[in-house]
Amino acid sequence: MKISFVSSHAISKALSYQLMRLQSDLAKAQTEVTSGKYDDVGVALGARTGQAVALNRDIDRLNGMMDTNSLVATRLDATQEALTRITGEAESFLSALTVSGSGDTARQILQANGKNALETLTSVLNTSLNGEYIFAGVNTDVKPINDYGADGAPNKTAFDDAFLAHFGFAQTDAAAETITADQMLDFLDTVVEPMFTGPDWETTWSNATDQTITSRIALNETAETSVSANSAGMRKFAMAASLITDLLQTPLNENAREALVGRTRTMVGEAISDIQNVQAKVGLVQNRVSDASERLSMQVDIMTTNLGDLQGVDPYEASTRVNNLLAQIETSYALTARIQQLSLLDYL
Amino acid sequence: MSLTSALGIAQRSLLNTARQTSVVSQNITNAQNPDYSRRSAVLVSSAPGATALNIQRATNAALFRNNLAALSSYNAQSTLLAGIDNLTLQVNGVDNASSASTLIGKLQEALQSYATTPSNENLAENAVEAARQIANALNNGTDAIQTFRSQIDQDIAVSVVRLNDLLSQFEAANKTVIHATQAGTDASDALDKRDSLLKQISELVPISTISRGNNDVVITTTSGVTLFESIPRSVTFSPIQSYEATTVGNAIMIDGVPLGVGHGGNTSADGTLSAMLQLRDSVAVTMQGQLDEIARGLIVSFAETDPNGLLADQTGLFTWPGGPSLPPDATISAGLAGLIAINPAVDTASGGSVTLLRDGGINGPDYVANNSGGASFSDLLFVYSERLDTPIAFDPAAGLDANASITNFAGSAISWLELSRQQATDASEVKSALMLRTSEALSNETGVNIDEEMALLLDLEHSYEASARLIRAVDEMLSALLSAVQ
Repeated sequence: MKISFVSSHAISKALSYQLMRLQSDLAKAQTEVTSGKYDDVGVALGARTGQAVALNRDIDRLNGMMDTNSLVATRLDATQEALTRITGEAESFLSALTVSGSGDTARQILQANGKNALETLTSVLNTSLNGEYIFAGVNTDVKPINDYGADGAPNKTAFDDAFLAHFGFAQTDAAAETITADQMLDFLDTVVEPMFTGPDWETTWSNATDQTITSRIALNETAETSVSANSAGMRKFAMAASLITDLLQTPLNENAREALVGRTRTMVGEAISDIQNVQAKVGLVQNRVSDASERLSMQVDIMTTNLGDLQGVDPYEASTRVNNLLAQIETSYALTARIQQLSLLDYL
Repeated sequence: MSLTSALGIAQRSLLNTARQTSVVSQNITNAQNPDYSRRSAVLVSSAPGATALNIQRATNAALFRNNLAALSSYNAQSTLLAGIDNLTLQVNGVDNASSASTLIGKLQEALQSYATTPSNENLAENAVEAARQIANALNNGTDAIQTFRSQIDQDIAVSVVRLNDLLSQFEAANKTVIHATQAGTDASDALDKRDSLLKQISELVPISTISRGNNDVVITTTSGVTLFESIPRSVTFSPIQSYEATTVGNAIMIDGVPLGVGHGGNTSADGTLSAMLQLRDSVAVTMQGQLDEIARGLIVSFAETDPNGLLADQTGLFTWPGGPSLPPDATISAGLAGLIAINPAVDTASGGSVTLLRDGGINGPDYVANNSGGASFSDLLFVYSERLDTPIAFDPAAGLDANASITNFAGSAISWLELSRQQATDASEVKSALMLRTSEALSNETGVNIDEEMALLLDLEHSYEASARLIRAVDEMLSALLSAVQ
């Protein structure tokens, strides 16, 4: 007859099981103290683990997007800078057109000015950044603007052919003297202008596409982040500069030349305001990109906080737990030693 | 009454004490043997004045039954947990680093940086490489799952052999018990052996026992199928050497009846066999289905569409042996995750061109989206990366959302697995506590306490001394008598 009975096996087993449990808890608590998050996130979060993985993934993705945005911003900065150079060139060209007097020297100076302006325009539009021609639309591996001064340049040939077809003689022909102001204006409006504003531009002058580079600047936001050399201002500027370069070498009479200079003056004026419009648009996109990056970085901050809330442990709580466990384990060791010493044999 | 009878009683007392001492020493020897039940030698008066020793074995049928049930459920739970842990690690990697969900995120990043600088072929290679990582992870995941299934199958085969062996050992032990009981001799050792076998059997299958005359025992599973009655019933199982996604494993037949399969993270299975069936036929198969659906989702998300809307969609970046046509919608194509591959047309290693990813045209010129041929065309890349976030239909048989984006679906697959793991871990703690508690209670009820045995030993010493003293006293009396007679 026993009131309560305990077996020796149960006593020693209970001691060892408890110690084992404490030790495994200690190992977990130690990892949690050092890493700041749950020892086994999956077991701690269960069905919410997918959320933690998604947050991790989105943080990486948004960080990646901020990196790509800085690339986009660099391209936009380069574009803006190039456009500023073009407007500057156009403005100085315009003032040259405005002050130009009559006379041979003035004509030569103006012609040189036009040539300069055209060369600058060509070289700026052919700017490349990281191996991409930034004004080429999406066709970024091909130079967007053909060099007017190069041998056999298609734009130069097209212009020469058009002149010959319209007037029946070449530009250098002395017969050019006979061209009247009205004839000149008629030639400029009906023949030359369509060559620049119409589809001919893309066969003779430009290799750029109208479609510009689209970039994703935030998760659900895309923006057009480049400017095409096909935009109206460029065409007009190219037309004005190439006319002055070419036709001031032609033996025109004074009236025709004045008509020509007058026409190009208005054209350059229009070009400047068109390009400034483009600059304003680029400025807007620059703003959007930097806003988007700022929003992305805020989103990353929020997500990081969320992720911390989800899988993080309170380091103070965890280290307190470690201390408690250490104390418990020490007690358990002491107890084990004393209980094991406890034997009736010692008293017999 | 005479001196001679006093001498006789004292002699018998010496004999009884000696036998009691041997029981005490046997108890002490087995103090740390969990399968040993404490014996006590009880003195019973048979005829007037005559006493006999009766060996009694401490038992508690109710606690023993509880312990068997707890053993069954704990073993099932720990088998399930170990299996799920193993699968999680092999398929999703440490911290889910090689999970489809994480890798799809990396692919999205790669697509984004490629789309920002589409003229850069290195970034194109990088995107294709990220895609290859996913395809590899899915292939490896499928391999891991199917290898796991075939390993489990082998484990089941081994366990079934062991179960049959245990049952035949049980037959021998049971026979010994019956004979000893019939002959009226001490059957304690055989009973210990039989209880220990029952414990081992219940680790494999949940059992209940019925006692019959002469201490004969019938074992049935808890669902009522006879495992042992006079002779062991046969437990049969034929393993399959290698598993594929479509392979259906064989059932374990006990006496011709198939053994039930457990379900749930806190498994309904009892005994390792049932839990192993659950791992092989439920957990691993569901995981495979989810991987297959992820593979299908990827193939569909990167499918090429005819810009003119005339031709049918065909496989793009990801393809499968059934390509270029797409796998059927919203249905698990069993084993697809093991077959998904990078389309050779975009793989430079196979002589393909990575730029087809940007321009379209993997399936010929009709599918080209970049008509101008510009090197900075990014629209198609945006389409792909948007499709990864657009909901598509999934097979509800995968056990996850039937309508979700591929990124969410892959995330849910992780949640599903980790939820099972969490449930299994929690349940395993509860069940192990119950198992420990019941074995402790059983041990306290039937085990040996050395101190008690020592105290008993002191009593026995006293009683031995007293009997010896008695014999000497009778001897002196007799010699006094004899010397008086001389």
